[in-house]
Amino acid sequence: MFLKRQMPVIIAIGVGLFILFGHFVNNENVQKFVNNDATQWFDIIASFAIFLGALNMLKLQVLKVVKKQRNWQYSILAILGFAFAIFAGFFFRGANYITITDIDSRSVPQLVQSISTIYKVDDPVLMAKGIEGSLASYEIPKIFISKSSAENFAVSIAGMAKEVSTDVKPWGAHVQIEGSLFSWMFFKIFTPLSSTMFALLAFFVASASYRAFRIRNFEATLLLVAGIILMIGRVPIGGLVPWWLVSTLMIFGIGALIAPLIPDKKLLFGIIFGGIIIITSLGMYLDWHVAVNMPGILSLPNISEWIFDYPTAAGSRAIMIGIALGIIATSFRIILGIERPF
Amino acid sequence: MNNKLLAIGGIAFIIILMYRGAYGFLFIAGNAPAFVGVIIVSATIFYYIDAAKSGKEIYLRPISGLNAIEEAVGRATEMGKSVLFVPGIADMDQVDTVAGINILGHVAEITAKYETDLNVPTCRAIVMESAREACRESYLRAGRPDLYYDDMVHYISDDQFAYAAGVNGIMIREKPAACFYQGKFYAESLLLAETGNSIGAIQIAGTGSASQIPFFVTACDYTLIGEEFFAASAYLSNKPELIGSIKGQDIVKFMVMVLMVTIFVFDAFRQLGLFNFNIITFLGLS
Repeated sequence: MFLKRQMPVIIAIGVGLFILFGHFVNNENVQKFVNNDATQWFDIIASFAIFLGALNMLKLQVLKVVKKQRNWQYSILAILGFAFAIFAGFFFRGANYITITDIDSRSVPQLVQSISTIYKVDDPVLMAKGIEGSLASYEIPKIFISKSSAENFAVSIAGMAKEVSTDVKPWGAHVQIEGSLFSWMFFKIFTPLSSTMFALLAFFVASASYRAFRIRNFEATLLLVAGIILMIGRVPIGGLVPWWLVSTLMIFGIGALIAPLIPDKKLLFGIIFGGIIIITSLGMYLDWHVAVNMPGILSLPNISEWIFDYPTAAGSRAIMIGIALGIIATSFRIILGIERPF
Repeated sequence: MNNKLLAIGGIAFIIILMYRGAYGFLFIAGNAPAFVGVIIVSATIFYYIDAAKSGKEIYLRPISGLNAIEEAVGRATEMGKSVLFVPGIADMDQVDTVAGINILGHVAEITAKYETDLNVPTCRAIVMESAREACRESYLRAGRPDLYYDDMVHYISDDQFAYAAGVNGIMIREKPAACFYQGKFYAESLLLAETGNSIGAIQIAGTGSASQIPFFVTACDYTLIGEEFFAASAYLSNKPELIGSIKGQDIVKFMVMVLMVTIFVFDAFRQLGLFNFNIITFLGLS
């Protein structure tokens, strides 16, 4: 019971306090532990823990297929994908390459042409220069997934050099090198699927914005107005919106705010109409159409900048301070063993 | 002033004096504001934890998002559907995830009481293990260990969008009646919350990721903003020592506000040329 209950708490408290105060201790070893070793320990534990996760995922998918649970067909795809990734990562390198030695300088153009049939050559002249610079030994910049395809191509260019040999990239490098089976899986299957999910965000942002911008109360209206100003102010066309349009919209906005206070609609209309006439006349008199004369408040980019720099920054900083204090208090509760999520 | 406050304040002061004495020798030079901050914050929170333990009444304002947790699980029970809990995509080295797992413990206790299915897809293997431990304990606490099974907490993928796709798939297929998003989230927050919204689930979110809060506010029924999220487990547990830490946190927030206003006023006066005292340099903040 001690090992299960008290021991984890003792370890958590000890390591927590050590790392917290380690930041202030003037000792190289303590600093090294706090800044590097402790995080590496976590990485090592997390790396081993991935087996637990992977086995759990595999177990659930296999059970789904075996028991023919609802939508079990999708699980076959998951199992195949898992098996394929393991195969490409651990059992099959699929990263063959060709090295040619003692190249005949006269056959360089022909060699470039041959390479261009299997590899996208952006600049043949540059490639020819590269080959000419390393006639003694040149590695063709194309990775072949299968050994036979590498050998077939080696045979096709055999006459252009003294020796054409095929080899395979070392274990480990094969997962990173472009053109290998693993990178093919990563860039041709995984990346497009991830991008698809990410792209869905655009549609979800649209539907979420629609819901947020629906005018239900004062706050939603404020959000709508601020959102529109930010959207227009942050695109080039925002700078082209004339001052008189901005001032008119502002007067309408003020009119909407004071409308509940003025029951007489004729008076309200008079105030709004009079305001528009006064501001427009003032603007014409003071030459606000010249950019330097125009008050900054009548420029949409300026208003959007102001919204972003002041109200938004203030609100988000208030939340950030709350979050920081919450993190400190939660950490403190865990370090003292008051709260135990483990 | 009570004796405990004096004792804790005295200890904090002695620690700061010791730090000052060994500054630059035993302790790294240049970290003084952070050290003093840590000691003051720790002492304040510790004092209020102690005060709460001693029986001092502490008021916590009602947080609608937390009060709605039981309502959401109850709705799922009535509808005969499951409850989905998403603990974010970060590992256990993030406090958000730890806070999320704490909340999971309370949600699991309610699902155990109501005999409702709980589904917890995780993005990290260590989070999966911690979440299982939290759920197992909660089912035991609720007196229903028979309802607990390991696979209610399961792993999907370490990759952000693969995880989001997996969770969205679960939502679309199983149509849970209540969705909880409690943890660290990034761009997938809106993907999850909008899908949950589209299936008509009651959704309660909480995160320390400031940039994701607007998305959750838009798409969820309740959102725990900022410190509410970190206070949630203490609020739900109703344990005096945990509630005391919330009070301490609030007092620290008040101290921060006072400090900000003081710095603002002093610096404004200095810039207006009323005096030469530079409070920012004095506090070692520049």
